[in-house]
Amino acid sequence: MNAIRVENLTKRYGANEVLKGVNLKVDEGEFYALMGPNGSGKTTLASIIASVRIPTSGSVDIYGRKSWQAKEWIGYVPQENFSSPKLTGRENLMYFARLLGYSGSQAESLVNEMLGRIGLSADADKRVGKYSGGMRKRLEVATALFPGVRILILDEPTTGLDPSARRKFLGLVEEVKDKQTTIFLITHLGSDAELASRVGLIDSGEIIAEGEPEALKRMHGLGDVITVETAVKSDKVADVLRNFSDEKRLLETEAGYRIYCKHGDKVLPEAVRNLDQIGGKVTRIEVAKPSLEDVFFKLTEKTVAEVS
Amino acid sequence: MSQIAAAFSKTIKEFLRERAVLFWTIAWPIVWVLIGSFVFVSGAPQQIVPYLRGATTIAMLVFALMIAGIANLPANIAADRENGLLAKLMSMPISPRKDFVGRILGLAAFSCLAAALVIAVGLACGARFSTTDIGVLQAVGFLLLVICASAGIGLLVGTFIKHVHGAVMTGVGIAVVTSAVSGMFMPYSALPPMLQQFARVYPIASANSSAIYALMGEEIAGYNPLTVSQISLTVALSVFLLILGTILYSRRCWRTE
Repeated sequence: MNAIRVENLTKRYGANEVLKGVNLKVDEGEFYALMGPNGSGKTTLASIIASVRIPTSGSVDIYGRKSWQAKEWIGYVPQENFSSPKLTGRENLMYFARLLGYSGSQAESLVNEMLGRIGLSADADKRVGKYSGGMRKRLEVATALFPGVRILILDEPTTGLDPSARRKFLGLVEEVKDKQTTIFLITHLGSDAELASRVGLIDSGEIIAEGEPEALKRMHGLGDVITVETAVKSDKVADVLRNFSDEKRLLETEAGYRIYCKHGDKVLPEAVRNLDQIGGKVTRIEVAKPSLEDVFFKLTEKTVAEVS
Repeated sequence: MSQIAAAFSKTIKEFLRERAVLFWTIAWPIVWVLIGSFVFVSGAPQQIVPYLRGATTIAMLVFALMIAGIANLPANIAADRENGLLAKLMSMPISPRKDFVGRILGLAAFSCLAAALVIAVGLACGARFSTTDIGVLQAVGFLLLVICASAGIGLLVGTFIKHVHGAVMTGVGIAVVTSAVSGMFMPYSALPPMLQQFARVYPIASANSSAIYALMGEEIAGYNPLTVSQISLTVALSVFLLILGTILYSRRCWRTE
């Protein structure tokens, strides 16, 4: 059964069409990641599924019901830190438990259980203002995991967390969720999206590709990726590297460049030699497997970070 | 009921834990009760000094209620909007009305606490009231109208001013300016005629004068606000502001775009 079914969804703000006929199906228990740059419409899509916004046209069904009739099944975690910094972790969870209709004693035992599940029992009585970013996100995810929730919608939950905290956080989400709970993750980070069982890539309000992470990389014929970091970026260095890349494709990153080729190991020594000849100071060079960001780049000629 | 209790509990805890809220709603009015009780009454005849202190206490009590409603409530709403809590709440099976009732009850409870502290300090400074039991009940009624009108204005500010800082500044600005021009910081008789008219129409100033009149008589209040037409106007405008604030808050803050 489809946990989420989105059909021909459009959303316009005046002349700006944010979503252009999106179709999407997510199965029960699936971990689905929607990846795209800022402004691609992914947050708008998530908020429509969560009934926070209404679409211009099209429909969203949650287990066969209209989304606004299925609010009790949805646990939505917006991008912003919505927990109150003035309240303790326990008080924040009590607030949400009481909002959901649990009596005082029911709420207390449920909150104690939730705090244990997310590993915050020891810090439960500290004010949230004193929590780290990761602790606060864990607490906020807990507000969306009360019994009865069948779909967990996480909007950029790892923004602001360091890579290790990110992986730990997403691991925890996988751990604490019920086997039947569906996860719908919004992200602009390939490393987060890799953890999902299925990934959708969204650009300018349209889903441009969808599939399992590994299948997506295979499908788009990305062999190896050579990552080059240089002391100085220049056109000369870029031109040399572009010659080694299939289809002359070169992605400029913050620290250097990425090029794509079938057999990275064979190309690497020659690339280093040629860079030496033109005096390009290489600080780091390595061959790696492509990421979902590379797939996005191949499909759109844009980087996720570039637009973000 | 549990939704109302949740919103009530969150609101009052946040008020009690926010230093700016405690300062503007409790410390500031108390400071002015102290100043008003010992500095501003120095030239007054000895026999009316306790009543002037009483009037200052009531005015500062009303100011505390105003700040709670007009500045603290919208700041609380704006913070919830700014940090995404309202979006989160909209995704949950929650009634905006219950959230509203919880917030208002939290505001009312906090306002009562602030009022009790201001009165206690006023009495300790020698404030006296010449009144009957009915006068006290009348004064309590008018103070409830102050809470209603302030909450109404606060809901309007919180609905239209999106950011916390802006909401606080707007709320404090409205409270301070309207208090100053409506005779809450000075005798009614000292106001120019145009501002005397404003003081009779502005429901918070009118309720303030009514409470002072009920507790201390016309000499201190400056005029008799307990006429049928004046009371009707004060009640109607206070209730109107609260209803208008409630409708706009429910429709605009909880509106799905």
